[in-house]
Amino acid sequence: MFSFQTIVENLPTLLGAARYTLLISVLGCAQGLILGALLCAAALSKRTALRRAAGLYVSFFRGVPLLIQLLVAYYLLPVVGINVPPLAAAVLTVGLCAAAYLSEVLRGSINAIPKGQAEAALAIGMSPGDLWVRVLLPQALKIGLPAIVNELILLVKASSLVTVVGIVEITRMSQSIASSTYRYLEIYLAAAFLYLAINLVIAAAGRLLERRLTV
Amino acid sequence: MSLEPTATSPASAHLRAVNKFYGDFQALKDITLDIPPGKVTCLIGPSGSGKSTLLRCINFLEEYDSGEVRIDDRLIGYETPGGKRMSGRRLREMRCDIGMVFQQFNLWPHMTALQNVAEGLERVRGLKRAEATARAREALAKVGLADKEANHPSRLSGGQQQRVAIARAIAMQPRIMLFDEPTSALDPELVGEVLAVMKQLAAEGMTMVVVTHEMGFAAHVADRVVFMERGELVAAGAPREIFQHPTDQRLASFLQGYRERNSLDF
Ligand SMILES: Nc1ncnc2c1ncn2[C@@H]1O[C@H](COP(=O)(O)OP(=O)(O)O)[C@@H](O)[C@H]1O
Ligand SMILES: [Mg+2]
Repeated sequence: MFSFQTIVENLPTLLGAARYTLLISVLGCAQGLILGALLCAAALSKRTALRRAAGLYVSFFRGVPLLIQLLVAYYLLPVVGINVPPLAAAVLTVGLCAAAYLSEVLRGSINAIPKGQAEAALAIGMSPGDLWVRVLLPQALKIGLPAIVNELILLVKASSLVTVVGIVEITRMSQSIASSTYRYLEIYLAAAFLYLAINLVIAAAGRLLERRLTV
Repeated sequence: MSLEPTATSPASAHLRAVNKFYGDFQALKDITLDIPPGKVTCLIGPSGSGKSTLLRCINFLEEYDSGEVRIDDRLIGYETPGGKRMSGRRLREMRCDIGMVFQQFNLWPHMTALQNVAEGLERVRGLKRAEATARAREALAKVGLADKEANHPSRLSGGQQQRVAIARAIAMQPRIMLFDEPTSALDPELVGEVLAVMKQLAAEGMTMVVVTHEMGFAAHVADRVVFMERGELVAAGAPREIFQHPTDQRLASFLQGYRERNSLDF
């Protein structure tokens, strides 16, 4: 017999765990955007050393599975004398990884902006910093919005990997509830709908933002 | 950074033996040219002859490889002729005084007309928001677009966009203005409104360097016309000398080609 009762009873616990899912994916994405913007600036820089460094960074963080990155961070940080709580380590690692993808999204978006816009900014004497913050990034974020929303949704799902560093988010919590109640189907379905709900909200918010940014 | 203009007197520009290469290709060959203050200098010549390259060397959007480019007596781009690049800060300071208008307008599409004009006043000249806005409104009024300040570029005609771009440049109170084919991207019926604004600027005594295919404008508004071909400065003189009595063979055939294209349309 399918038991709705079990779902209703355990929903608050699952929702509590969803906080971690959200925290890690949203903070990770935010950090990824900030770091990704810097990486993108490096990748588009005239200085060869900066371009190389950005290229290496992207290759590494895109080329190594997030799971391994999390494990490395978890075991490496204490060794080098950095003691951060697992949650901080998880957000940091997810953010570092997201930055690699988001820097490429931003780079593609910036390449889509006609060159003349940067020239117009330079011609009135604008500094490179203002050029980025006032002219290029606002447009890159808009052009890249669908891809950025994609990335955030991928992060929500990938956040289940942080269980390896001991954080109990939706997936880990549902496993634990399922094995204590023996109601596997109900609990995993509840988890599935929880992820789905989160991602539907993110997608809707993304579309709303996209409409508001269209002039 | 506060770069309040100290003087608004028109500037002169001076090019001395300027050379510019793209790889092996020489786009500018030993160009020497004086742009007098408060006058209109038109650059004409076939496509690919180096007009844009020359214009863009004047505000160092294009780096010249040798020679000197000066605004009044200040060298732009390098600390000494053939020396080290000048600092970004000093280059920006010099660029504040040099307005530029592009063929493709190059407005920032995520900002309104007013924001496009106020941006440089705030960020570069360092004016307070209220003052930048007030000055931007004045500049928009001057190009006849006071009622369009809230429009984004996508909601403006090509002619209006170009006039906003001119307002963006003049709001900075430049001492010299560079125009790179400002009407070439416009539908024919919109050319007039942009040329009218440029004529007004010329009448106010702005130093203007205008790359153009509008021979009518060059003949009637320019004080001096410069003809370029294949990276070389071939002829320069008063409009009457250039258009009525061309002595150079290449100039004569360029003008003949132009007249044939433009009179046999119907
Ligand atoms: N970035 C560039 N790289 C290589 N060649 C260029 C570049 N920009 C311009 N050129 C070449 O330099 C020549 C002069 O160009 P330009 O100054 O734009 O001519 P004009 O404005 O007179 O049409 C052209 O042959 C053009 O192909
Ligand atoms: Mg050109």
